[in-house]
Parts: sequence; structure tokens; C-alpha cells
Amino acid sequence: MTFLEIASISKSFGPVNVLKDVNLSIKEGEFVVFVGPSGCGKSTLLRMITGLETPTSGEIKIDGEVMNEVEPADRGTAMVFQSYALYPHMSVFGNISFGLRMAHRAKAFIRQRVESAASILRLESLMERKPGQLSGGQKQRVAIGRAIVREPKVFLFDEPLSNLDAELRVQMRTELIDLHKRLKTTMIYVTHDQVEAMTLADKMVVMNGGHIQQAGHPLTLYDDPDNRFVAGFVGSPRINFLPVSVKAVGGDTIGLSLEGSDRLTKLAFDGLDTDSDEMELGLRPQHLRILKDDEQALEQELLLEGDVVFVEQLGDVTYVHVDVSETSRIIVRADRKTYSGQSRIRAAADLSYAMLFGPDGARLRSRSLPTQ
Amino acid sequence: MKISVSATAVTTPRKVRAVSIWLVAKWIAAFLVALIAILPIWWMINVVFSVPGEPVSINPRLYPTSLGDGWAKISMVLTETEYFRAYLISLLYALLTITGVLIFGSMAAFEFALFEFPGKRTFFAIVMLSLMVPTAVTIIPTYLLTAQLGWLNTMQGLVVPGLSSAFGLFLLVQFMRSIPRDMIEAARLDGAGHFQIYWHVVIPLSKNALITLAILTFIQTWGNYMWPLIISSDPQMYTVGQVVGLFNSPLSHHTVDIVMTANLLAAIPPLVFFLIFQRKIVEGVAMSGTKG
Ligand SMILES: Nc1ncnc2c1ncn2[C@@H]1O[C@H](COP(=O)(O)OP(=O)(O)O)[C@@H](O)[C@H]1O
Ligand SMILES: [Mg+2]
Repeated sequence: MTFLEIASISKSFGPVNVLKDVNLSIKEGEFVVFVGPSGCGKSTLLRMITGLETPTSGEIKIDGEVMNEVEPADRGTAMVFQSYALYPHMSVFGNISFGLRMAHRAKAFIRQRVESAASILRLESLMERKPGQLSGGQKQRVAIGRAIVREPKVFLFDEPLSNLDAELRVQMRTELIDLHKRLKTTMIYVTHDQVEAMTLADKMVVMNGGHIQQAGHPLTLYDDPDNRFVAGFVGSPRINFLPVSVKAVGGDTIGLSLEGSDRLTKLAFDGLDTDSDEMELGLRPQHLRILKDDEQALEQELLLEGDVVFVEQLGDVTYVHVDVSETSRIIVRADRKTYSGQSRIRAAADLSYAMLFGPDGARLRSRSLPTQ
Repeated sequence: MKISVSATAVTTPRKVRAVSIWLVAKWIAAFLVALIAILPIWWMINVVFSVPGEPVSINPRLYPTSLGDGWAKISMVLTETEYFRAYLISLLYALLTITGVLIFGSMAAFEFALFEFPGKRTFFAIVMLSLMVPTAVTIIPTYLLTAQLGWLNTMQGLVVPGLSSAFGLFLLVQFMRSIPRDMIEAARLDGAGHFQIYWHVVIPLSKNALITLAILTFIQTWGNYMWPLIISSDPQMYTVGQVVGLFNSPLSHHTVDIVMTANLLAAIPPLVFFLIFQRKIVEGVAMSGTKG
């Protein structure tokens, strides 16, 4: 059941086409996260949902009602800004109650609503303070309080945690998840941080270049990305991309070899349908293993070899960055047992988790494998 | 060890002496400037609060001697001449101008600084151009316009032409531009209408700029001599400036003491104002100078 529907929305600022034919439907109570690199149009999309920006074409529906012509304040949305945008001359109470006061609600009603929001956000003892006397996390909570008292149908957050330090950010994330559990209201959250997106989202919407690249559960996007961009964006450390050429196409396997190598490796794949033989193979760092000096790669494994350029030793894991050719650098996930300071390593890749991408960046899926 | 100790012992007093000479020079300079600024005012006070003729006699005094004589002169000026009426007119003129400049200036600046509308740049450029035109050029057309409206010798004739303050608009626009756009949008999402945003968000945030503009407008209006002189020929509408002019004129039959009393009374409001708002005035001048 669709609660919020974005139907073929486009937006241009003058000649610049920022969003191109965006379609998305959101269920009631979902926690949706828009994620993508800076400048990809996330804020613009959010601002169109709340009415601060008008779409060039397309329609936005909330709860079955077309919102394009509805005033921002009447859409049933509430927004929390990255800068908090608190009114510095008003107390915390004044800030949280501002919307209700502008609507000329009764004093007792305002007090009761503000107090209940304050108790959810643990702001009771700060009601008389001015924003200038609050810490970053407290300001953030006041900004959320201002949204809560409006009892919106949809909460909108535009990078609300990016002004906080790392520790507070993690804490506020759990508070937001908690808030979502209590209120059960639809929330749309914008961030450029994919880790944040993965921890918060029921539904993660990856955007790039004015398009939605893929939308779905974070783990679906991680396991089964639709294209090279999503594969590269979701997951930390990043997935490795290796240029390969298709040397042989069999019934349900294809033979691949790395650029500049003659060794042929078989990959289970049914129905390869492309004009070009040049492809890219996506391999997550944990699907590579470092070979011991005397160890050989298995026949179905891809063999990689190169100079170590950089090592991240994090205690439990070790990420080894290796130049396997002039143009490809890969990351291998190892640990202290398997990597002990070699300057050159050989690694074997288990291809059962490998993903194949065509020259245009689209994911090539095997026919027999279940796709989502 | 010994050498280094004696070396510091020699250099330290030298340093102190160098600094203190510089400091003394600065103090002397500041003192002289203050003396030059204060002396005329002090002389006025001296002449007013003494027995008539005494300060300019063969044996002059540099300090007031008679409080009673001073009060007598002041009450004479206020009760037996048109001075008090002029005082009230000047005060009303200043208050109405300040109120008007703040209302019109803040409303126009609100639109110019925070919203887009067709022709915004052109309009703003025209207003700013008027800053470059000297008053001498516009005063005759303004007079003719005011005369045609039949506003000679009226309070509105005195006040209205001064309400369109390009400088005030400029000052407020510069200030309001620094208000974050997010804050205006947050207010809009909170359901505040256009006027509510102006009144509940932008005006309180612009308090400092508005106070500065009010002070500068007061100083300018109180000291404005030319426009009242042109617009009101009727003594009933004279401002303090004009009345003091009458006292000072060569054909005046008042004695020096009385003239000085009139001058002193005229100088008191701006002086008091300055003493109270000294910091704001300096800030305001800095603000209008640096932010442009
Ligand atoms: N009001 C505007 N006028 C012109 N260009 C804009 C405006 N708002 C955003 N843009 C442009 O649209 C693009 C997307 O911006 P935005 O939605 O803020 O990206 P994100 O939030 O994903 O970082 C950017 O290139 C930005 O420069
Ligand atoms: Mg943004």
C-alpha cells in the first residue's frame, strides 16, 4: 500500500536538469533513506516533497492526495534541517511551540503538546534556554521536537547529523531508530554517508546524477546491486572492480581472464547477452584470500598478484591495498594470521560471489540465478 | 649565568621605557583631541551657569559659578520664547521619522534581502544609485513636489520626504542577508505567513541593525537644518535648529548668555543620546562601512 508516491518527477534549475524522471513509492511507517554523493539532488527531492521547491514536471501524492499545489505547511510534513535552523531569539519552548502559536492554538493545548514532545526527547530541563546555550546534540533534539509537535504524516530529515561529532552521531542514530519505533511515522532521511544509510534504512534509495539508481532493503542493495554505481557505493571498504575479458562462452559457464593474463577462469553464468567482450568483475574484499608462499589457487578461483601499497591494520581485520596492474588497485580483507608484512602478495578470489558489469555499468545477471 | 642575568637586567627597563613613552604620547594625543572636542561645550556650560557677563570680563572664569543664574536663563528661554514649541516639534519630527524609516526600511529590506521577485535587481540598483546623488540635487524637486501636495508648513511635509532612506535600506538589507535561508523556510514550514515571518522571525533577529538605524536617524534628523528651513517658513513650525538660528542671527537682540543657553539646550539631546548609545553608534558606523 503506497503512502507517499513520487511519480515521474523532474526538476530543472534554469538549464540545469537536477532530477530526471524520478519514480518512487513509499509505504506508511517506512524509514526511507536517500543516499548518494553530494550534489546528486537528494535535498532537492526532499524539498519538493515538503513543498519548498516546485517540481518542473511530475506529481507528488501523500495519502492519496496530490500535493503539488498544497502549501508547505498544509502537507502534513515536517522537516529537520542540517543547520537545525532554530530561532536564536526564542527559548527552547518558544522554538518548539512556534508552529502551534502561529496557528493560534489554545495555550493549554500548546503546553501539553510541547511537554509531551519534550519528554520524548528528554528536553524538559532545558525549556527556558536559548539555542545559543545548547550543545549540538541538544539543538538537534530541539529541531526534532519542533517537527514532532506538528504531528506530521511524514518526517523529513536533511543530513541532520552531519554537524555532530562521530560519537554523538552514532548515539543520535540509535535515538532516531528509537523515535521511529515509538512514533511509527513515515520518515525520509537524507545522507551522503552510506554507513548511516545502511544502519537506519528499511528502504535505501541510492541516487546519482539525478536518477534513482536502485531502491530496496540495504542488504538487498549490498548483495544484489543493479549496477556498478550501487555496487561501488554500498559497502565499506569499497567493492573491487577488475577489468576482464570474456574468452569463451559455454552452456552455463563463461571463461574469463584478467586483463594482461592468459589464465582462464570459469564463472557460472547462463545466457550472457552482450556485444562487447570487455567487462568488469566486482569482488568484495572479504571474498579474496591471501595465498601462502607454496599454495596454489584452485582451478575455479581467479588468481591476482601485485605489490602491496598500503595496509590498514585495525586489530581484528587487516585491509591490504594491492596494485594488481597499472590501473587496478584492489583491497583484500585479511587478518594478522594471513598477512604478516609481505611487500608482494598473491590472492585467490572465489567467483561464486562475483558480479559482472557490462561496459555501460549495468549489472549482467545470470539467467539461472534468482534475481530480485 | 651572570652575564645573561645582567643582560636581561639592562634590556628590561629599556623596553619598559620605550613602551611607556609611546603610551604617554598616545595619552597626550587623546587628551588633546578630547580637549578640543569638549572645550566648546564646556564654554557653553560655563557661560550659561554664571552671572551674566562674567566669563567674558577682564577677569574671565573657566568654571561655572552660579547655578541659579543658569536655571533662570534656561527657564527664561523655555517659557518666554518659542523655544519649547520648537523643541517639541523637533522631537516629534525625529520620532515620526525614526518610526517611518524603521517600518518602511525593514519591510523593503525584508523583501529585497530574503525573497526573489521580478525586477528585484533593477529596483535595488535604482535605490542604491540614489545614495550617490547629493542632497543638493534632489532638494529642489522634493520641495516642488511637497509644495504641490500642499504640505508646506506641515508636519507631514517635514517628515514624509525623509522616510525613504536609501542608506537605511542598504544597512538593513546587508544585515538581513546574513539571516540563514533555512530559518525562513523552517518558519514557512511551521505555518508562519509572510507577515508572521517578518514580525516573529526577521524583526527580532534584526534588532541590532534596527537600533543602530534608529540612532543614526535620530542624530541626522535632530541636526537637519536645511530641509526644515526650506519647508517651513511659518515660525509656528520651526524646529530647534531654526530657532537657534534665530537666536544666533546678527540682528538678534539676545545677549550672549541667552544665545549660549539656546545652543546648550539644543545640544543636550544628541549628547545624552550619544553617551547612552556610544557603543552602538560606533558599531553602526563600522557596520555600514565594512559590510558594504
Ligand atoms: N536553488 C537552486 N538553484 C540552482 N541550482 C540549485 C539550486 N538548488 C540546488 N541546485 C543544484 O542542484 C544540484 C543538486 O543539489 P542538492 O539537491 O542540494 O544536492 P544534494 O542534497 O544531493 O547534495 C546541485 O548541483 C545544486 O547546485
Ligand atoms: Mg543536500
